[in-house]
Amino acid sequence: MTTTAETAAAKATSVVAFDQVTKSYGNVRAVDGLSLALHPGETVALLGPNGAGKSTTLDLLLGLKHADSGTVSVFGTGPREAIVAGRVGAMLQSGGLMEEVTVAELVRLACDLHPKRFKVQDVMARAGVSQIADRKVNKLSGGQAQRVRFALATAGDSDLIVLDEPTTGMDVSARQAFWATMREQADQGRTVLFATHYLEEADAIADRVLVLHRGRLLADGTAAEIKAKAGARSVRFDLEGVIDETALRGLPFLTSLDVSGQTVRIQSADADATVHALYGLGVYPRNLEVAGLGLEQAFVAITEAEEAKQS
Amino acid sequence: MTSLIKLELARALRNRKFLFFSVLYPSILFLIFSSSSGSDDRVDGTGLTVATYLMVSMASFGALTAVLMGNSERIAKERESGWVRQLRLTSLPGRGYVLAKTAGAAVVSLPSIVVVFAVAGAIKHVRLDAWQWLALTGVIWAGSLVFAALGVAIGYLASGDAVRPITMIIYFGLSILGGLWMPSTTFPQWLQDIAEWLPTHAYAALGRAIEQSQAPGAQDIAVLAVYFVLFAGGAAWLYRKDTLKA
Repeated sequence: MTTTAETAAAKATSVVAFDQVTKSYGNVRAVDGLSLALHPGETVALLGPNGAGKSTTLDLLLGLKHADSGTVSVFGTGPREAIVAGRVGAMLQSGGLMEEVTVAELVRLACDLHPKRFKVQDVMARAGVSQIADRKVNKLSGGQAQRVRFALATAGDSDLIVLDEPTTGMDVSARQAFWATMREQADQGRTVLFATHYLEEADAIADRVLVLHRGRLLADGTAAEIKAKAGARSVRFDLEGVIDETALRGLPFLTSLDVSGQTVRIQSADADATVHALYGLGVYPRNLEVAGLGLEQAFVAITEAEEAKQS
Repeated sequence: MTSLIKLELARALRNRKFLFFSVLYPSILFLIFSSSSGSDDRVDGTGLTVATYLMVSMASFGALTAVLMGNSERIAKERESGWVRQLRLTSLPGRGYVLAKTAGAAVVSLPSIVVVFAVAGAIKHVRLDAWQWLALTGVIWAGSLVFAALGVAIGYLASGDAVRPITMIIYFGLSILGGLWMPSTTFPQWLQDIAEWLPTHAYAALGRAIEQSQAPGAQDIAVLAVYFVLFAGGAAWLYRKDTLKA
C-alpha cells in the first residue's frame, strides 16, 4: 500500500494516476479498485481479454465516464482539464465520425479544435490519409476509417496519446504500417497508452504491459516478463509406479504441479526445458502432451499464481 | 467552435434532399393550398386574403421543417455512432455541438422563409409594407429557435431507430393542429381550444399580427416563451444526462 504522501507525489509527476478506482454497471464491476501510474515517455499496452475492463478504464481516463469511487488524474488535473489544455489526443474504439464531410475537412476540424495544433497537411501525411483527403468520410473502408481516427487523435502536439484497440478491422500489413506510425509518436517523446487483446501487439511495441482481468490489474511489467508468464504451456503425461513429487517439483521453469493418480499435469514457462529435464530424471513419461495456454488461460494462470502469492 | 459551426453549415448547404424539403417544399405547398381561392377571398375574422394568410403559415412551416427535421435525426444518429463522444475528446465546450447544430439549421430556415415570401409576392401578388416584410422575416426566423430547441431535445431523447417516426409524429401533429396547413378556425370548437395552446399556433399568430399591422398577442408571446423554456430546459437536461451516461 502506498501512503497518501506517496500518492500525492505520484500524481504530481505522473502522466496518468488512478487511485483505487472503481466503476460498476449494475452488479458488474467493470473496474475494481484499480491503481496505476503512467510515466512520461512510456509506451504502455493495456492488455486483457474482452470484458476485462479496458474500454471502461480508458473512458475513465478520458473523462467520458466518472468513477464510482477513487480518483483519476491526468497531468495532475482532472481528465477534462487535461483535454482542454491540449495535452491528450485520443482515438476511441469504433468512435463515430462526422458523416457527409471529406477526410480533409474532418482533419482540419480536429486541428482547429486542438490548442497546440499541427498543420493539416502534416497530420494527414503522418496518418497516411493524404491519398483519401477528398473522399467522403462515410465512404471509407474500416482500415481507412481507423487511420482517419488516428489522424484526429494526433492533430496537435499532445503529450499523451490514448488508443483503444486501434488496429481493429485492419489486415496484417495495415496493422504493421499502423504500428510504424505509432512508434513515430513514441519516438517524439510522447506517452502512448493503447488497449489491445493481442499479446503480440503489446510485445512488438510496448515498453510496459499492464494486464487487466475482471477490472483488476493482474500484472505490470515489461512485455518479455508478461510474455514469459502468458507464454506458459501445459505439459501432461502419465508415469508408472511410485511418483517422486519432490523430484518433479525441482524441474526448471515449472510454475505449477498437479498429480492425480498416475497422471501428472505441469505448467511451465519454458516447456522445452522442462520436458528435457524430465527425461533427465530417468523417468519414462507416456502419452506426453504439450499444449499452449490461450491468453485467457494464461491470465487465469497468472491470477492463480498472484492469489497463491498473496495467501 | 467556429470551425465546427462552419463545417455544419457547409454540410447543411450540401445536402440537396434536405434543402429541397425545407426550402422548396413549403413554397410548393403554398401554391397548392392557395390555388383554389381567388385573390380577393379572405380568411374569416382576420381581414387577410387567403394567400397572405397562407404565406405566414407556410413560411412558419418551412422554418419548422428546417430546424426540427434535420437536427433531431442527426443528433440521435451521431450520439449512437460515437461522434458525440469523439468530440468530447477535443477542447470543444459541451454546448458547442448543440450551438453548431442550431446554426446549421438556422442557415437553412432563413432561405425557406424568404423563398415562400418571394413566391407569394411574385405569383400570388401578396403586398405588404417594407417594414412588414422585414419584421415577418425576423420574427419567423427568431421564433424557429423554439423548435430548434425541440429538435435538440428529441435528438437526445430518442434512439437512432426511433427518432424518425417520433419526429414525424410531432412535426405533422404540430403543423396540422397548430393550423399551419389550414386555418384552425375550420376545426371543431374543442380542437380549436387545444390548438390555441400549441407553439405552432402562437408562432403563426405572431406573423399574422404583423400582417394585420397589430401588436402581437400577449398570450401568443407567453405561449411561445413557455415552450421555449420547456424545450431548451429539456434539451439541456437530456444533454447533461447523456454526457454522464456516455
